[in-house]
Amino acid sequence: MSDYFDTLARLLRDRGVPDHRITATVDDLTAYAQESGADPEEEFGPVAEFAAQLGPEPEPETGGPAEGTWVWTADIFADEQRLNEFGDQGWEVEKVDRLGRFVSHRDPERAQRWEYRREVVLARGRSLTERLAPDGWEPCGTWFHYEYFKRPRAASVGPAAAIDSPPPAAGRQLFFSRRFYLLAVLLLVACVLAVVGAARTSGSEATGFTVGAVVGATAVIVALWLLSRRRDH
Amino acid sequence: MAADRRASWLKGVLDLLVLASLTEGESYGYEISKTLADAGLGQIKGGTLYPVLNRLEEAGLLATEFRVTERGPGRRYYRLTDLGRETLADQASRWLAFDESVRAVLTKGRAG
Repeated sequence: MSDYFDTLARLLRDRGVPDHRITATVDDLTAYAQESGADPEEEFGPVAEFAAQLGPEPEPETGGPAEGTWVWTADIFADEQRLNEFGDQGWEVEKVDRLGRFVSHRDPERAQRWEYRREVVLARGRSLTERLAPDGWEPCGTWFHYEYFKRPRAASVGPAAAIDSPPPAAGRQLFFSRRFYLLAVLLLVACVLAVVGAARTSGSEATGFTVGAVVGATAVIVALWLLSRRRDH
Repeated sequence: MAADRRASWLKGVLDLLVLASLTEGESYGYEISKTLADAGLGQIKGGTLYPVLNRLEEAGLLATEFRVTERGPGRRYYRLTDLGRETLADQASRWLAFDESVRAVLTKGRAG
């Protein structure tokens, strides 16, 4: 009996469980086994598996998302393509959070392919959802005037939608397209040119314009910074 | 197949059953297991019960106290926290509503 608990204590220590906690746990489990009269392995299962359930999850080495859930985002030029790319890898979007990120999950053991579409919604209502529902589409999130819909691929291809061995989750959370970066650069250049142009003129109007342009440029920079910060959340 | 399905049902509600078993007062692992077995839920092994107890404790739904005994190893006693009570009240009513829906559909299916 003690071999089982000795091994359990060692495995819990390896997983970073504090010593006082290990002592209390092993004592408690020993009392349980004595009272029930059961063999520890039969009662608690294989020691390595049991330790894995009791101890904290080890930190992922890659720093990537934990298998099972993933929060990510993409700009408006790339989101639909990315949604379908990751949907084909088994990621199901549960919602779009208030930062515009796709909160997704995937069951690694029973992954299913998903497909997505984005629609522009100018007036809130049920008509679009009702119109798409007969084809198997269901809403999975809203971002300003964009409504996202998902549909299990099983709706069209049946059991072939199952994924036997899903690929590893992507190691990042931010997917911006070239068009997005180009637009950002153009905005910055426009702001800089406006400031330079205003500086060459004189008078109070120019001063006001310069202040406005500086504020505008700062706003663009702050917006880009906030967007890039999303990867840290 | 029937046993597998029962295990699957239990998996979805075991945390609530554990919380519910502590409404009368504190208890320890083996006693909780016995309470649930006596209620007709079958034997719940320690390998299934303790990970659930750990999760509930980490979520702040249970508070624990380790007590050394005069004879033999000590035991960890579990009791409901205020948050645990609130969660139990909320989640139990949701489960019962779900159970009612399942019951209605199955009853209709059997009659048909």
